[in-house]
This record gives sequence, C-alpha cells and structure tokens, in this order.
Amino acid sequence: MARVSIDPVTRIEGHLRIDVEVDGGTVQKAWACCTMWRGIETILRGRDPREGWVFAQRFCGVCTTVHAMSSVRAVEDALQLEIPANAQYIRNLILIGHGLHDHIVHFYQLSALDWVDITTIPKADPARAASIADGVSNWPGNSHRELEAVQNKVKGLIASGQLGIFSHGYWGHPAMHLSPEMNLILFAHYLQALEFQRKACQVVGILGGKTPHIQNLAVGGVMNAINLNSLATMNMDRLGTLQSLLQDLVPFVQQAYFVDACLLAASYPEWFRYGRGVANYLAVPDLPVDAKATKFDLPGGVIMDGNLGSVRPIQNWRDEAIRAAVAEDVTHAWYKGNGLQKPWQGKTDPDYTDFQENGKYSWVKAPRYNGHPMQVGPVSNVLVGYASGHPLTRKWTDAAFKRISSANGSNVTADDLQSTMGRYLSRAIRSAMLSDLALEHWQLLANNILKGDDTTYNPPQFPAHEVEGVGLHEAPRGTLSHWVVIDKGAFSNYQAVVPTTWNASPRDEKGIPGPYESSLLANPVADPQKPLEVLRTVHSFDPCMACACHTLDASGHEIAQVKVL
Amino acid sequence: MNRSNNRGHAPIPTGAKRPWESACLIGLGNVLLGDDGFGPLAIEMFRCAYECGPNIEILDLGTPGLDLAPYLYGANLVVIADAVLAEGKPGTLCTYCEADLLSCRARLRLTAHDPGVQESLAQLRLMDRAPSELIIVGCVPESCELGKNVSPSVWSASSVAADSMARLLMERDVNCRRRRVPLQPNLWWLPRDRCELVASR
Repeated sequence: MARVSIDPVTRIEGHLRIDVEVDGGTVQKAWACCTMWRGIETILRGRDPREGWVFAQRFCGVCTTVHAMSSVRAVEDALQLEIPANAQYIRNLILIGHGLHDHIVHFYQLSALDWVDITTIPKADPARAASIADGVSNWPGNSHRELEAVQNKVKGLIASGQLGIFSHGYWGHPAMHLSPEMNLILFAHYLQALEFQRKACQVVGILGGKTPHIQNLAVGGVMNAINLNSLATMNMDRLGTLQSLLQDLVPFVQQAYFVDACLLAASYPEWFRYGRGVANYLAVPDLPVDAKATKFDLPGGVIMDGNLGSVRPIQNWRDEAIRAAVAEDVTHAWYKGNGLQKPWQGKTDPDYTDFQENGKYSWVKAPRYNGHPMQVGPVSNVLVGYASGHPLTRKWTDAAFKRISSANGSNVTADDLQSTMGRYLSRAIRSAMLSDLALEHWQLLANNILKGDDTTYNPPQFPAHEVEGVGLHEAPRGTLSHWVVIDKGAFSNYQAVVPTTWNASPRDEKGIPGPYESSLLANPVADPQKPLEVLRTVHSFDPCMACACHTLDASGHEIAQVKVL
Repeated sequence: MNRSNNRGHAPIPTGAKRPWESACLIGLGNVLLGDDGFGPLAIEMFRCAYECGPNIEILDLGTPGLDLAPYLYGANLVVIADAVLAEGKPGTLCTYCEADLLSCRARLRLTAHDPGVQESLAQLRLMDRAPSELIIVGCVPESCELGKNVSPSVWSASSVAADSMARLLMERDVNCRRRRVPLQPNLWWLPRDRCELVASR
C-alpha cells in the first residue's frame, strides 16, 4: 500500500524531519527540523483571556487538553487567582485520564512496532506464550485461547498478502530479536489497548463534557455543577461511573503495559546504552492536592549534567527560578531576532531561509534553561522524583528494576534511565504512578463533595494595569508552559513553550544541539536503508508530530527516505 | 426508542427496511487553519439544519490522528467530513467510500498526526470492531492558512455538504429530517463578520 501523506500544513512532510549522517554504522551528525510554523499564538493576541483556552486547545489535535489547562493556569497565575479544591481534583482527573490514554497510545501504537516483529507471530507457540505471560502477570488477556485467536488473525493477515498498515515495518531487521512468543504477547496487548484508550477517553468526556476539546474549564475553576440531588450534574451516580472506569483502567496499566515495558527493556538491554543525549532534565510539579496548590502528587525539579545528586526541587508553580531561567534562542530557527529572549517578551516573526545545516534549519525555537538545553518528558519526571526520594516514584521505578533483573539478571539503576530505553521505561513507570493516583484523586474529589463542598469556580477580576503569568503543566510529553501578558483585560502577548520545543530544539547560538539531535549521536545504524535504530530513539521521545527521517551517507548523498510509522 | 428530541413531531416512518441502529457524523480538521476547518463547519451546518434521533452522534474531533480509533470503535455507519486533496476547484465536494481511502484514491488532509484513519481502521478491523460503513464527504480547500477565514467557496460548500450528509443518512433509513426552524450555528472560531453573515441569512 502506498502511504498517504497526511499533513495539512506542507502537504508532503510531517512536522518533523530528522536528518542524520551515518558513517561506520553509527550516527555522526543529526539535525531535527520542524517543518511546520507554529505561530499559532499570534491569533490569541487581543483576545479575552477568559476564552484563550478554547483557542489554545486547538493548537494540536492530540494534546488538546494540556493546552487548555496551561492556558487557564497561566491566566490564573497572572491574576494570582486561587481555584476551589473541587476544580483542582476535576482537572487532575482529566489530566490523569488524558495522560494514561496518551502513554498507552505511544507504547502500543506509535512505538511497539519498532521492537515487535509481527511476521514471526505465526511461528509462536501460544501455549508457551501464555505460560510466559502468566509467569510475570495476572492480566486476564493472556490466556492460551486469547493468544491463539490473535495469532490466527495475524496468520490470516499475512496469508492475505495484504499487510496493509503493517507493510511498512522493518520486518526481519537484525535489530529485532524478540522471540515469536514475546511478539505475540505484545501484539495481543496492542489490540487490547484500544478498549482501555476508550475508557480513558470516557473519563475525560464525563468530566470535560466533550472529548477531544474539553468544554468544562474556566479561568477560576471548572464549570462542572456539583449537586448530589440532581440528575443533570456531578452526582453520586456519575462519580460511581468514573470510579468504575478508573478501576477498569488500572489493571491494564499495571499488569499489561507496565509489565510489557519491563519485558521489552529486559529483552533489549543494549538500548540502555544508546540515546542519552542532553542529560539536563526539567520537570514541573503537577496534580496539586490542595486548592492553593502548595502540595503536589508529581514532584518537579531540575537535574544538570546527568548528576542525580544535583537535583534542585521546584516546589510549586510560583517558583521564581524557572520564571527567570527559561528563554528562547532563534539563531538556527526560521525567525528574526538575536540572543535569548524571555517568553513574555517573545516574538514570532518568521524568517524562512530553506534548510541550511550551518544556518537556520527549523521552525522550532531553541528553548534554554539558564542557557542550557533541557530534556523534558516522563524520564525527567521520573528522574527528578527518584533523585528527590519521592515514594511513589521509587515504588514503581524499583518495581521495574526488579522485574528487569529477574528477567535477565542485569542490574539496572536510575542512571541507566538516561537512555533510549530509559525513556520508554520511564513512560511506563509514570503511567503506573498515574494509575495509582487516579483512584486517589477520585477519592479526594468524592470526599470533598461528601463533606458538603460544591464550589467549583472563583470569578476572575482583571486589573487595569499589565500583568504577566505562566501556566505550568507536566504534560504526557513533558513540561509545558504557556506565558501570557494581559493588559486591560486582553492578551498583549502569548507564547507557548511546548515539550516538543524543548526536545526537538535545534542548535543554539553556541552551536549546542537539542535533545533529539544529541541523542542520535553514536546510535547504531545496521542498515542505512532501514534506519530502524534512528526511529527507536526518535520515538522514545514520543514526538507529537508526523516524522520523516532522511538518511545521508558521509558524501551527503541521500540514500533513503523513511516515513515514520 | 426514545424520540424525545424530535420535539413532538411524528416519528419518521422507517419503512420496510431496517434502519441503521446508530450513526456517527464526524467533522475533522483544525478550525484555526482556514479551510482546514471544513469538517467541523459542515457538521455544525448539518446539526443546525437537521434533527436526528438520539442514536446519531455528531462529533467535532479536530485533528485526532490515531486518537480517532476510540471514536470509530464498534460504530455502525460513520460519515466523516474533511478537507481533501483532490482534483477540482476549491469548494468542490467529493464523496468517497472506505475502499477509496484504503486504495489512496481519497487523500485526506487529515492533520499532521500521521498515521490516522488508515491505521485506526486497520486496527479496528483486526479486532472486528471496525465501522460497518464509512463514507467521507470531502471538500477541496482554497487556503489553509493560520487564522484565516473560511474562503467563500468552502463556506458555500459546507451547507451543500450538510444536505449531502443528510441524504446519505436518509438513503440508509437513518432517523434524520430537516428542521422546521433551523438553529443558529455556533461558529465561535470564525471572525465576527462571518458569524454576522450567518445571523443575517
């Protein structure tokens, strides 16, 4: 099947293009080029800050919720407006539902086929696969009969000669080495995952009124009416539905996804050695447990130079250091301007030059933290939590290490998480944490409502003078921040520094590459025609974009163009 | 069947053929990118001009990429409105079936979140949860630029597309009829002048 180019902006490429130079079987140089102009913030200037989130959540079709959330948080920060406890919990449950959905989609749909060779599945022994799976998990979807049914589907698909969407995989690639049984187990869960994505969507839909594009937010809280005696509002019945959806989700995350990620890591331990890249990590605290947002269930912090002992915690969203540290550089991005610019003063004036590997080559700006590139995402979240002794992070990270150790006898440590496989594993660890927190935050909401608190909204007051705010959110792909300037009740500036901007950052004025670029250096590439290894590392970041990889040999001659599945 | 939202009108006779039990109308596209917002615009035009039974879902899904799959899961009839890459002047409407999509005759402009529809359908098919029938009502865009208004050709096409979608549903005995009094469309994403245009119609 020919692939269909699906891209509303350029019609040919996706948002991201990765160029790598391969010599002697490893990557020597890499460029991350975002091919889409993300100047979408310009349409927010002059708008009423109370409606900003409605537009902001259309920035992206997949991460709608996170932009809505950061937008209201930014305005609330500028106004120093507290929101009621119920609003925090309802927002948190939406964020957890969205996060779990996103991580499940990433593992099974966006990246599993970089590791799982489905063409070996017909050779698997389903009874043996069931016993392998039973040995590590009590997930009910691992029965002999279930796995045999999946195997028959794959046999039928292969016999039909029409692999369809699977026809572009690098089947038989030397870097794929899972046993047929492991491939069968993981593919069975790939199919089962959809059921659980639906449940996560339902959680978001019940609370948000609609999904995608939730409708229940407001600057000052949420618009969910709470009345235990009304059929039309948040009541015990609806709380019960939410609870049972969350209870259904937890086992899939903890017994299927988490276990699969550990098995994958144990089977491909060499990938703990590749893909480290930028070893500075940034995560912001999230899932506040009180109205004033003084305590959080996900810790934030900064780690520099891969030194976990150096972690500096970010206690809350009023943290002055992060406000002072974040700035963007456009030396190698297609924008006008020089030097580092604070987001509040940020401009987005395009200056397109074509791809110049020593000049400007991307639409992504280069965000820097006190001048340093930073890696964001679940790995930062987990490393910061682990380094600062956060109990829930330790619980699931240690559980993962134990599983890997009992599968292959190796001793994996937190330092090993700074790698391609570490990013995959951290995402599963974070999901397991979120699944524990899902039920806890449900309980916080239920307790608060049963206590008689039905407030969900504090009305905002806009001052006549100019105010600045930042809305921080630890989104599924990492730290997201919306920076707003409000003047006379309207946005006078709006800049979003999104996780993919941090990770897909081009070089800066000092020539220092961003996380995608540096993580690809020294990656093995067994066959430049089939640069599967490049995809594994790029996918480990969960790029929120269609991605086209070009491979160049040292003479600069383009020898393969590969569309990322 | 609950017909409460038919507002007291007589139920639509279903005839001898068994009607589709449910249907799902989906608008795809980014409303902030001019004509790329054709899908959400067309389904809003449909919602305001037609009324349907409670088993008909009308969904603005934006640009969901792979996240489309949960919404297609186990669906019966699915009609998708979207901007498409096709021959013809801007505003030209083209209707495709699922086979056209799989054979690449229909090139959806569906988002940068590649992969999208094909992968979602393939996964659903492996699970025996694919929609029974999938129809795409596509429109050739004129300009998909950030923050631009919908162009006049696509604007006119959106009402025609709403009528085509209604015809597709009625041909399949789906409970759907033209409203006696049309509703006012909620086109919050369009600049004011376009909204006033709707009000004056």
